[in-house]
Amino acid sequence: MENIEPTWILLGTMAWLLVWGILGGVRTPNVYRHKNLNPEGTRVVGMLGGMLGGPILLIPLWYFTPKVNSRYTAVLGILLSIALYRVFALYDPDNLCVTNYNYVINQTANGLQIGFIYALMAVGLTLIYGIQGVISFAHGQHYMIGGFISFFFLKWMAESVGIPINPLWGILVAGIGTAILGFIFEPLFLRPMHQGKIERPGEYAILVTFGLAFLLENATLSIVGPFPQKAPGYTPGIGMINMGPWMLGSLELGPVRLVTDRLVASGASVLLIGLLLIFLNRTWIGRALRAVSMDKQAAAVAGVNPLSMNTLAFGIGTMLAGMSGAALVPIFSWVPWIGAEAAGRSFVIIVLGGLGSVPGALFGGLIIGLVEAMGTACFPDPTRGLAYKAAFGLVIFALMLLLRPTGLFGRKET
Amino acid sequence: MSKRIPLFVILLVVLSLTLVACGGQQVVEVTRVVTETQTEQVEVTRVVTETQTETITEEVEVTRVVEVEAAAAEPIIIGATGPLSAPGSVGGGIAMQFTAELAVDEINAAGGVMGRPIELIFVDTQGLPERGTAVAERLIEENGAVGIIGEYHSAVGLTMKEVCHERHIPCIFSETWNDDITASGYDEVFRLAVTSTLVASQQINWLEALGFEYVVIIAENTDYGVPASQAQVDFMTERGIDSDVFFVELGTEDFLPVLTRIQEGERTPDAIMVLVTGETSYNVEQQMAEIGLAPTEETVCVANQVAINAEYWDNVPDGNYCAYLRVGLTPNNYNDITKSVDDAYRTQFDRPAPSFALATYDSVYVMANAIEAAGSTDPDAIIAAIEATDVTLAQGHYYFPYGMNNPVPDDQPAWMWHQWPDAAVVIQQYFEVGQDPDNAAVVFPPAFQTHGTALIPYGETP
Repeated sequence: MENIEPTWILLGTMAWLLVWGILGGVRTPNVYRHKNLNPEGTRVVGMLGGMLGGPILLIPLWYFTPKVNSRYTAVLGILLSIALYRVFALYDPDNLCVTNYNYVINQTANGLQIGFIYALMAVGLTLIYGIQGVISFAHGQHYMIGGFISFFFLKWMAESVGIPINPLWGILVAGIGTAILGFIFEPLFLRPMHQGKIERPGEYAILVTFGLAFLLENATLSIVGPFPQKAPGYTPGIGMINMGPWMLGSLELGPVRLVTDRLVASGASVLLIGLLLIFLNRTWIGRALRAVSMDKQAAAVAGVNPLSMNTLAFGIGTMLAGMSGAALVPIFSWVPWIGAEAAGRSFVIIVLGGLGSVPGALFGGLIIGLVEAMGTACFPDPTRGLAYKAAFGLVIFALMLLLRPTGLFGRKET
Repeated sequence: MSKRIPLFVILLVVLSLTLVACGGQQVVEVTRVVTETQTEQVEVTRVVTETQTETITEEVEVTRVVEVEAAAAEPIIIGATGPLSAPGSVGGGIAMQFTAELAVDEINAAGGVMGRPIELIFVDTQGLPERGTAVAERLIEENGAVGIIGEYHSAVGLTMKEVCHERHIPCIFSETWNDDITASGYDEVFRLAVTSTLVASQQINWLEALGFEYVVIIAENTDYGVPASQAQVDFMTERGIDSDVFFVELGTEDFLPVLTRIQEGERTPDAIMVLVTGETSYNVEQQMAEIGLAPTEETVCVANQVAINAEYWDNVPDGNYCAYLRVGLTPNNYNDITKSVDDAYRTQFDRPAPSFALATYDSVYVMANAIEAAGSTDPDAIIAAIEATDVTLAQGHYYFPYGMNNPVPDDQPAWMWHQWPDAAVVIQQYFEVGQDPDNAAVVFPPAFQTHGTALIPYGETP
């Protein structure tokens, strides 16, 4: 193998994946149908099996036609990933992802940290969609507003009140501020849609949330100006009073080196997502929200007011976006137009995870965070890795649409 | 009956349109007749008797009043462009818009140009090349701009210059560094900003003076970043300095994957140079510092030129000891005009005026002066007048050594065409947290050094 040109390894692998992947994906469901068996899930298994083993796996699969489940998909996915990694090592043996395991561990940790923060924002978007059936195009602007609320609150506390406080408090205040925005906007502009007062509700929802996005972005630009802002960093630990103006740096845990600010932000994200899941699963209101997302009419019969739940869902969704922004304002430079890219990424995450699924948004966020980090870190041409960062996530997104249009945790329309 | 009403309405509309069209022509003709009368009367004045002259002079004065009134209703339109919304550098665009309007207000307060006011139409390009083409065409075709000034992003400038050339309208670029903008040799295109090559040569002279052997460049994947990094690499290769370029997309927030990749590389870079604009550059620089990549004792941080802005310390709190390129004058070289513009800018934005804001202010004046000197809005006359510019404004003394009357010689780079050659470029370095850029050390070129050294070592006070 060492004598083979790397380009031929790459081309050969791609040809193998393409030919056997397509053959497995197309032929396998037909084989199951031909034997009067349930073909659900067989397309993915057939494709993964074809890509991994070609005829060695496909012929037994077609002959024995076992009942496939998610375990088959998971095992084949893991084995294919290992195989592709081995091929990658042959293609680019000097790549840091092949030669330096500490580097791989660090990049994985980076990807997971940023993935949790991505997930927090996406969870809000998917919650709104799950309950209201509306994609909020102003979600990125709520994220941006949350960052600015936190920034100005911290600044006011430090400069006017004279008590510099930890940015964790900013997350709380931003959550309250953006929730209020959501609670005001929804009854005024989205509720008429659910009351049957709007002739074309689908188009209306897009237009009204787009309008809100433009309004929020340009109003913020007028108020705060175009110059980037950034809040002081988090202090390590749980102390609520800053120990110094800029407690930045990194924390080393064995081979893993973590930037403390990101660690705190991702920890806050995990905590908030956990609280949301507890709220949705353990409280009456949370269950009522889930009931509305499953069947509005049945929920109404059971005594749940869908209109109130719509408002609550929108408020919680915008609150999560705002808190996500507030978590990041000590990490990234903040400008009024920062929400656009974050919103685009959130759309990708919720489609990847399954529209309306909170666990799907969590896993989607982690997958996008990991894929972007590892894609950038391992891309054979290091000088171009970051230029293609968004593309790595979109490749996964496109594959998911191709193989499982409902997303990881999505439900089929009935 | 029901069929007759629409027909009647159509006839009315057609009649109205015809009347409006004829009316417009009549107004034009009346104006022309008045002007002709003036010309004839003035000629007669020179040969007729004294009594006749007095009478005729009164008529001429009346005619002039009519002309001035007509002109007051018809301002001279100058187009201006800059990024006022994302993904462009909005801060840069707003700064340019402010100083352009400041210049126009001053000119109009002083009586305008050729006795006519200037109307500035500032259009948002979003930093997008396709928008550059669209807005330049709109300014010329719809708004009737006689010249265009401004623009921040090279990518936009590159498309705009083509429109200026095709429509034969003079354009003065205020902050687009790409060499090709003036290297195209178009009669219509001028530049008051520096060029990528000019900047690169200064930076590489500095790196060479420091004896550096390996430099990493982080560049934005745009028509500014790509050629700018290429110019740096070419110069470094000539001087025997190894380099690697890492491209990033503007608007990216998280740079850790690529920064840790640089950190884990086989060679520790002597310097990391950031060729990324706007807030994206702050994210790169702060994250470099957070992971201990640069600035360190081994690696010098060369921040983007926006490190001069007031918000640098808020966004890059760990950016002490970063060096940066300063394009434009240092305060000790400010003239009265620079001070006046800087004061107005500080009043508005609570920060010193950046070089591109000054250049935009100057661009308006250069264009207005050229129209005044040309005595008309004829493009050829304005272009010839811009070529003959000889004026001191906020950034210094403006002139264009090479143009139609004096082509660029073979021993000079092609971008010297219609290029103002004297933009000040120095390298500064911070050595205290929160330091005012006016107090930062000038480390290069040696003639301007303020602390007698080409580099303040990390952690030391000069």
